[in-house]
Amino acid sequence: MIALMIAAAVGPLTGSVAAGCGARARQAGWSGAAGAMISVACSIWLLAAELHRPPVSGWGGYLYLDSLSCFFLFTVAAVTLLAAVGSVAYLAAEEDIGRLSAFQVRLYFIFFGLFAALMLAALETGNLGLLFVLIEASTLASAALVGLEARSSSLEAAWKYVIISSFGVTIALAGTLFLFYSASGLHLAPDLRLTWPYLFGHAPALAPESLRLAFLLAVVGYGTKVGLAPMHTWLPDAHAEAPSPASAMLSAALLNTGMYAIMRFLAITRARLGDGFPRAVLLTFGFLSIVIAVLFMIRRGNFKRLFAYSSVEHMGIIAVALGFGGVLGLYGALLQTLNHAIAKAVLFLTSGDVAVRYQTREAAGVTGLLTAVPVAGGALLLGSFAVLGSPPFGLFLSELTIVRAGFAASGATLPLLLLALLAIAFIAFARTTTGMVTGSAPVATTATATVAGGPPLSAPYRGRWTGVAAATPLVVGLVALLILGLWIPAVLDAVIRHSAAVL
Amino acid sequence: MQSLSATSAAGVLLDLSGVLILLLAFACLGSKLFNRYVAYYGAQSVVLAFAAGVAAQAFHSAELWILAVATLAIKGIGIPLSARRLLVQRLDLKRDAALSTGLSTSLIAGGALTAFAYLVTRPQLLPHGVVAAAVVPLSTAVILLGGLAMVVRRHTVAQLIGWLIVENGVFLGAITLVATFPFIVEAGIFLDIVAGVLIMLVFVSGLTRQLASASASELKELQG
Repeated sequence: MIALMIAAAVGPLTGSVAAGCGARARQAGWSGAAGAMISVACSIWLLAAELHRPPVSGWGGYLYLDSLSCFFLFTVAAVTLLAAVGSVAYLAAEEDIGRLSAFQVRLYFIFFGLFAALMLAALETGNLGLLFVLIEASTLASAALVGLEARSSSLEAAWKYVIISSFGVTIALAGTLFLFYSASGLHLAPDLRLTWPYLFGHAPALAPESLRLAFLLAVVGYGTKVGLAPMHTWLPDAHAEAPSPASAMLSAALLNTGMYAIMRFLAITRARLGDGFPRAVLLTFGFLSIVIAVLFMIRRGNFKRLFAYSSVEHMGIIAVALGFGGVLGLYGALLQTLNHAIAKAVLFLTSGDVAVRYQTREAAGVTGLLTAVPVAGGALLLGSFAVLGSPPFGLFLSELTIVRAGFAASGATLPLLLLALLAIAFIAFARTTTGMVTGSAPVATTATATVAGGPPLSAPYRGRWTGVAAATPLVVGLVALLILGLWIPAVLDAVIRHSAAVL
Repeated sequence: MQSLSATSAAGVLLDLSGVLILLLAFACLGSKLFNRYVAYYGAQSVVLAFAAGVAAQAFHSAELWILAVATLAIKGIGIPLSARRLLVQRLDLKRDAALSTGLSTSLIAGGALTAFAYLVTRPQLLPHGVVAAAVVPLSTAVILLGGLAMVVRRHTVAQLIGWLIVENGVFLGAITLVATFPFIVEAGIFLDIVAGVLIMLVFVSGLTRQLASASASELKELQG
């Protein structure tokens, strides 16, 4: 088991190694994708094995794996695979056009693999101090991705990202410290120091005052990574400026890793302080995030920013679901996590495809996508409806579950408010994306591109396999979302139930 | 849990170091020259290394000795020296003009935050009489002061120093918990800081090349 866990975490490093040895975009990309495939395979294996075993713990608690971490491991590995395949197409196209130098392409793959590996490792540790170390390290690796294109706007976004996130995560470290102060009445065995299972098992003996402060600091600190308002300000900039497959990783993997850390603190806090305090904290931050995100989604402009605000909204929904609590709320939160991760990965990869073809990130500059590029247009249309929670896609199911949990937990006001906000988000988001998809295809863009000697609009990808690499993750992701909307596989259902029980 | 009593010699020394670290954070908050920011940060780190040495002596921990030496070498000497060479001298930074409030206002706000830190953390701590009870409010205050410095100053270099002060505050709190904080974690935190500083150095110099002045108030291309 431990070997599998290690394999799952180091899998994505293959791309880094290949790039470090001087491979070009295609070779490095494909080896990174192969590594991500290993991670996914290992995580599925672990997922199936975990159902019939007690949690795995090793290396003095540094390694720890229960259903919850298995579930997140699978989610992040799946997103990494989608983004790694998307990276092949995106980076190869950028390299061919000459927008990125060979050095930048190598840097991209080195940090992409490092970023993925650090996040996967963060999900496998039971030591809360090490969790901080790995999450902070993943911030640094991804900051390099955000600033990769070295334009003044991307450097600005990267600076904002690294300084706000580092500060936030440091606050979370202070929260971790207070968690240990709350445990100072316990006689901790040296090999169990700082480990989550031990603290969770002894939750009733923790000092409540200190724990309260610890939870609040952890939500604010890791919430900065999750993008909960008002700590979300780095998020739209970083998502808009990063290369699109890296945006997919930020939105669908990094935010979830932060949420995972909050869930670990939540479980301990609930076990000691009961429902009231964590619910108040999570509902406040959750609703604030949804409201702020929806307000900014009404603004039309850069479509990657739109997707980023939609991520803020969805993280808010997950926080609200965790706040509602109960089996339904936790089930909904986890299902929403998986669905949102896949949907957002598809959307950001599509945005990369669109950006490469139209050479713009403004929604106003894109029309007639469905006629010009049927695959990307279809993926954008279906992906937006999926992410907005319309049936038959998975998010419909999970959001329905969350609303039901709300009715069960707290009366009618909050769930109705949530529904109203979701409706506004639907209108704001769909208004922009349908505008991009419909209309006539831009003949002029094609002409200028050809005149300028660049590749024509419809064919940015050289070689058959690169085009396939661009389309595959979109199709696979949408099919997965459709399946999750109609039928939840028994293994997944069991794992989510087990994880909800852990919380 | 192992813990030092507040009245032991080591406890008194740790307490004193905490007070010094807080005063240096105030000094940094109250100055306007980039040279001084770096110098105060360096001095603060040296005191922190001393505190780590005291704790190492008291707990008889070889790992903590390593940590104390690393703190002295990297935070006390390495980072201040390279910040001075690569940022302050190369970018020719002298007076920090990008302050959003006056110095006196930020010092008063700093005093209020220190009082707040005591108010919030004092009742949280279980066993009275251990050194943690004295040092944790100090370290919380240092964290808040570092945060304040980051908010008040808009120059990227000043914000970087603010973050490093926050990190020192957290480290001060962690020292009193050495019995529970494993070495690997402390070392990992250390590595993160070093890598973070390196990455931020790259960004700051990249931004300066493109913007002529790396004040965050000029970073307004991305809005909404």
